[in-house]
Amino acid sequence: MTGDLSVVLPLACLAGGAFAVYLVARFVTSRNDLLALFTAGVFTAALTALAFLQSAAANRLPTWGHFGPGGALLRADPGALVVVGVALGLGLLVTVYSGRYLALDRRYETYYPLLLMLMSGLVGMLLAEDLFNLYIFSELMSVAAYVLVAFRRRVTAAIEAGFKYLVMGSVGTVTILIGVSFVYRETGQLVLSQMTGTPGPWTRAGAACFLVGLGIKSAIVPLHTWLPDAHGRAPGSISAMLSGVIVQSAFYTLLKVCLGLGFPARSLGTLLIVLSLFNMTLGNGLALVQTHTKRLLAYSTIAQMGYIMLSMGVGLRYHIPEAIQAGLFLMLTQATTKGLAFLCQGVCHFYCGAATINQLRGTAAHVPSIAVAFTVALAGLAGVPPLAGFVGKWFILTSAVRSSDALGYVGLAAFLLNSLLALGYYLPLIGTLFAPSPPHTAGTGVGRIQISPWMALPITTLGALVLAIGLYPGPWLGWMANAGAYLLALRR
Amino acid sequence: MNAETMWLVTILGAPLAAVLLLFLLREGGVRVAGWIAGLAAALSLAATFALLPVLQRGDVPVLDVQWIPDANIRLSLHVDWLTFPFLVTEATVALLAIVYTWGYHHTDGRTPIFYALLMLFAIGMSGTTLADAMFLFYIFWELMLVASCALIAIWGEGEHRGAVALKYFIFTHLGSLMVLVGLLLLYDATGNDSFSALRAGVTLAPGLATTVTVLFIIGFCVKMAIFPLHLWLPDAHAVAPMPVTIMLAAAMLSMGTYGILRFPLSIFSLAQMTPFAVPMMVAGIISEIYGALMALAEQDIKRIIAYSSVSQMGYILFGLGTLTYDGIAGSMLHVIFHAIVKALLFMCVGLVVRATGRRRITELGDLGSAMPLVAICTGVGALAIAGMPPLCIFDSEWMIFAGGFHTAHIGLSLLTLFGSLLTVAYALWLVGRIFFGIRPEGLTIDPLPWAMVAPTLLLTALALIEGIFPAPVFHWVDQALNLILGGNW
Repeated sequence: MTGDLSVVLPLACLAGGAFAVYLVARFVTSRNDLLALFTAGVFTAALTALAFLQSAAANRLPTWGHFGPGGALLRADPGALVVVGVALGLGLLVTVYSGRYLALDRRYETYYPLLLMLMSGLVGMLLAEDLFNLYIFSELMSVAAYVLVAFRRRVTAAIEAGFKYLVMGSVGTVTILIGVSFVYRETGQLVLSQMTGTPGPWTRAGAACFLVGLGIKSAIVPLHTWLPDAHGRAPGSISAMLSGVIVQSAFYTLLKVCLGLGFPARSLGTLLIVLSLFNMTLGNGLALVQTHTKRLLAYSTIAQMGYIMLSMGVGLRYHIPEAIQAGLFLMLTQATTKGLAFLCQGVCHFYCGAATINQLRGTAAHVPSIAVAFTVALAGLAGVPPLAGFVGKWFILTSAVRSSDALGYVGLAAFLLNSLLALGYYLPLIGTLFAPSPPHTAGTGVGRIQISPWMALPITTLGALVLAIGLYPGPWLGWMANAGAYLLALRR
Repeated sequence: MNAETMWLVTILGAPLAAVLLLFLLREGGVRVAGWIAGLAAALSLAATFALLPVLQRGDVPVLDVQWIPDANIRLSLHVDWLTFPFLVTEATVALLAIVYTWGYHHTDGRTPIFYALLMLFAIGMSGTTLADAMFLFYIFWELMLVASCALIAIWGEGEHRGAVALKYFIFTHLGSLMVLVGLLLLYDATGNDSFSALRAGVTLAPGLATTVTVLFIIGFCVKMAIFPLHLWLPDAHAVAPMPVTIMLAAAMLSMGTYGILRFPLSIFSLAQMTPFAVPMMVAGIISEIYGALMALAEQDIKRIIAYSSVSQMGYILFGLGTLTYDGIAGSMLHVIFHAIVKALLFMCVGLVVRATGRRRITELGDLGSAMPLVAICTGVGALAIAGMPPLCIFDSEWMIFAGGFHTAHIGLSLLTLFGSLLTVAYALWLVGRIFFGIRPEGLTIDPLPWAMVAPTLLLTALALIEGIFPAPVFHWVDQALNLILGGNW
């Protein structure tokens, strides 16, 4: 195996870290805070490795592993680096948060290794250049995710959600595997960058299989039905990861593989724009009627995926690299805002036992800082300026206007109507946070609650990020600048 | 950074510093909150006037900083002659509303947040007029909405404040989104978001120019509460705490006028705007008459004044729709004078409500003998809004009607003129029912705080002074029109 070691380093940190954390938990200490610190250390190491990789990737595509002429096992493309960076960043914050939050669930010795496995699967899937490895890594990610969704094993609903996710996810992975075999049957190879020329019928069928398989994992309507259950029943920290980065990374992989297999960019773009209309409308429409906060946030994730699909679709269909840049920017804002929202909901659950929206009443009286942070998250999701979500909204709309085409304008109109529709559940939720406590709990003597610094730190960081990204998006956009051109260059 | 830029930054910087300070102090700053906010608003107003000599020299104070290089988005602020009259209006209204709050607001632990949100609301308005780039413009435009909506949702009166705030937000956000799409179409056409590129001239496909104009006019008419886009206004005005109502009615409504002047009227030529003249005039007349009729029918005194705003915005839209120098000048004057009179009327209504604790007009009467000063102020306000010389609104209405008679649509102009009779009816009837007649059972009168009375008196004086000496304000408006119309019309 040859190539840039820096490509494999983040992956090695995470995978090695998973074993190390498990061993530490079994034989050294099972204290939550120490394990969280150790895991956070692993994440920091992986982020440092990623920073090296990022600087190495400044003007070339670093690869690792030799697979025939020009082929490689792992390849660090600019878009994947962005998604990996966002995922590792959120992973680090979620780990710190778990340092207190996990006292609800315990079993630390399985949680942290699973979280690291989830991340190694994600990083491997994003960097994989070879389809078979891509399949393996996506399966690794999914298996870890199934277990984490069902982590509250004494809650029947959690087991049910995990099982549903397992069944649907397995259909997805099997479809991917079939796609891999189709591609291999025709071309005799599995390395994306070596597939040139016009794809034959088997490769086309393979690309379709990838579209469906990864479409399940990226919650594209009508393949989304597992998501509200899974994201609504997982522990809050895991919901933040699932909604914030897992779905988006599967979607980025979908784009990369489909384009790499010769799926025409214009058709893929058209398909994504059309499907995005369903994602947006269905996600927002169903979020309006939810009574559980986490399910509401989960449906909002489906809607946000619709926005990302719209942006990417416009970029591919009309060949606008800025739209793809905007799509990646939306992934970043989704990770920060949705992550923040789930973490805030987790705090309310941890201290006040709040699960339904109604139980959030009085949050402002008991934990004012969380009410403010939650408001920032929801306003960010709703795209209120000057928060991060607004910048994303501006760029999607800019790209849709630039398309100067009927379908682009349909997407634009649907997006605008949906952003109005979304206000219909974000604003009342904000109102609930600041509403007085219901009368029967008002006298119970629950005063101000001091939240643990383990939770306060990641929430403050994410809240500051949501504001900072909105006020000064320049550097973040610069980080994503090359991704659009890279993805568009993949098309044949 | 030279002195001009310093003043320019102060207009936004002073209130922003006050907001940060108030958020930091929170419960600790309950007693000083009002002073901090008042000081910041006064500084902001002083800074605005400090720029007047600069403008008269023919300079344009600018602040221009790189913001998002990837998308050609800059952070630029500037004051030109179109900005200036609006800026003065907003800063004055904000300052008076804050002084009024000293007397109006019941102090508790959340008071600093109340003042902070009021300041944010003011920042949103002055930022909207100062912005010299679209991205920034829209951020301030929405800040105005977010801050005022939070004020209504938290401090609104009555059980339904949450629902009213939601309606207000979604309804006006719909207008904002239209404006946003209009901005983006221009941004796409010019390739950067600076207004200077627009001033240099933008060529759009004919169909696109029409789309942009329609989006802007409808979007801004939502903010102006033109019938049938006014539905958010009566509820929002009636439920909002009085200082917020004053700022909504006197300053925020005029932002729609600013938008129409800044975008379609400055960018497009007379020929491109002509197809929109009659629709704008007709919508203006309908709003004028509908608002006045609703004001006659309403029972709640706050809602009466609120509907009067719908009616007055109708005059402004009519004036803009005439597309004549006189009509547009009259509309701009009307923005300023309506701000004075509407703030005055809401302050008077606030005094009546504070003194009696009642809002239904049938439960009021014969207050003239008990509160003569308030009666005189309300009377002046009512006569002013009815267009009585020598009070200020007479001047602006004169110009608007003159503009109407310069067009070919004499019938529409006559209709506007006669429609204004309804204004006289509701305004005088309001005064008659509150201050004369028979005193109802059990009507008690509480003493009034000086902080609420002083700004009311000041505005009464202003309404008279501006009516007799409109020349300085007229000069500003004249300069603004030279700027946006460029002598073409």
